[in-house]
Amino acid sequence: MAKKVQLGDICWYRSGDKGDISNIGLMAKDEKAYEIIKKQVTPERVKAHFKDWVKGDVVIYPMDNLQSLEIVMYEALGGGATKTLRVDQTGKAMGNALAKMEVEVD
Amino acid sequence: MKKVRVGAGSASWPDCKDSAWDVAKNGDVDYLSFDHLAELTMAILERQKARDPKRGYIPDVIPLMRGLLPIWKEKDKHFRVASNGGGANPEQCAEEVLKLSQELNLGGIKIGVITGDDLPLSRIDELRAQGLKLKNMDTGEEDIDRIRDKLLATYVYIGADKIIEAYGGGANLVIGGRLADNALYCANFMHPFGWKYEDEYWDRIGAAIITGHLLECSSWSAGTCSNLWEEVPEPWHTGFPIAEMDETGEVIITKTPNSGGLVRELSLKEHLVYEVHDPHNYIMPDGIADITTIKLEQVGKDRVKISKLGDAPRGKRRPDMLKLCLAYDDGYISEYTSVIPGPNVFQKAERVKEFIHKRLEYLGLKPREVLIQLIGYDSLWGPTAGPPECEPNELGVRVAFKCNTIVEARECRVECGSLNWEASPVGTAFGNAPADRPVFALWSTLIPREAVPLNLEIKEVK
Repeated sequence: MAKKVQLGDICWYRSGDKGDISNIGLMAKDEKAYEIIKKQVTPERVKAHFKDWVKGDVVIYPMDNLQSLEIVMYEALGGGATKTLRVDQTGKAMGNALAKMEVEVD
Repeated sequence: MKKVRVGAGSASWPDCKDSAWDVAKNGDVDYLSFDHLAELTMAILERQKARDPKRGYIPDVIPLMRGLLPIWKEKDKHFRVASNGGGANPEQCAEEVLKLSQELNLGGIKIGVITGDDLPLSRIDELRAQGLKLKNMDTGEEDIDRIRDKLLATYVYIGADKIIEAYGGGANLVIGGRLADNALYCANFMHPFGWKYEDEYWDRIGAAIITGHLLECSSWSAGTCSNLWEEVPEPWHTGFPIAEMDETGEVIITKTPNSGGLVRELSLKEHLVYEVHDPHNYIMPDGIADITTIKLEQVGKDRVKISKLGDAPRGKRRPDMLKLCLAYDDGYISEYTSVIPGPNVFQKAERVKEFIHKRLEYLGLKPREVLIQLIGYDSLWGPTAGPPECEPNELGVRVAFKCNTIVEARECRVECGSLNWEASPVGTAFGNAPADRPVFALWSTLIPREAVPLNLEIKEVK
């Protein structure tokens, strides 16, 4: 059986906002980690991970030059920085929340 | 080969003034830029200006300049400065800086003042009468009449054109309003290298946009808010980044030697993935950058080189449309946090949640939205928190309400917030609540560049 790790074990991350859009930059710590996240971090899985916090689409852009994924989540911040009732108005901790998602390693 | 050194001065209102002064003093820079505006700061500033025509700019500009201008003099007036701290009132901001330079006996300063980025509400009606739809670019909604009566401020994210023109006219300092964060930096590369908005320059303008992105959040490229937080040296005086670019657009990002923080491949990578959305099309008023066309290389301590990865151009032609933001009034938010001690702290918190919901119902209060989060468990994690792995000693119960009026927002807070800890056997909530606050909502749309005439005036103290 494949071993599971959390994304936070094999990636760095930084997240931010633009209106009600949350964006997470997920940076692989090495080449192997990049191959893993490129395959396993899909829009469906990310949306399922955030449950009702992310109401809109999730789009993922791979950046091979930086071994990173740019994850863009729509309708994800409860209305956006000035409208949301959340503590994390600008989604700065959304990266931490994603880092708990599990992926399989060989 | 000609090189230009550009420093970051600020990324918000406020930011660390000492770091900006350090760049000016020890950074050997030719240009220094200051961004002070977050997404809705302009709405706050427009309100201030409506109440008092002498306000509406970022007040921090004055103490910042009080420290900066003497350094500028000491450096033989060598470096130029661009700032969007004029906010909703660049003219008044420039007046105040001129007064300050007289007070400091600094003659020979020229200030370029850019206006025209904030549109009067009547202009919005005119544009609509001319057939411009102003469709909401985030939601696709077209019915702008819904918010017409609630509009507070409208402003356009403008590019580097007028800053370059001001520098060309001899301005030492340029003050504007909603100059895009990125444009404040683009101008500093385009002006000295003579890059124009023409086909042969888009690749290099792309490099300027990417570099501007790395500078515009100041210390964020130099180890603040970083995955490297454990090893970042002396973050309490983190150096702001400095870019040394040559005329091909190749650039080295560095910082002053005695400041805190660090410049590494990772600290830059952290910022290159931050808030860019589609990395192939990072759309700015001065061009469209492709962040996948570059490579990073550590070339020394706190020195990272950014160069072209292959043949693909780093930038494309600038967009014909500019981003127009319409800020409108959307009710009020109130909030309260009470703190509940263990044991059985989760069960007690559930009882407090029940108190809030039932008391709202009992009193007939109907806020538009209610959110209850537990600080110490799910206030940052939301539904990703998962089952608790241990029993914390205490939890904060934070409740927030959104209502149409400030009266309702206050009533929800007082009746259902500040007393809710009584539902647990013991708790505490004697601190002051944060002030009930107005909600500024944002309708973002696009407007043709030519529909936004800008004005530049150069003022001088001889």
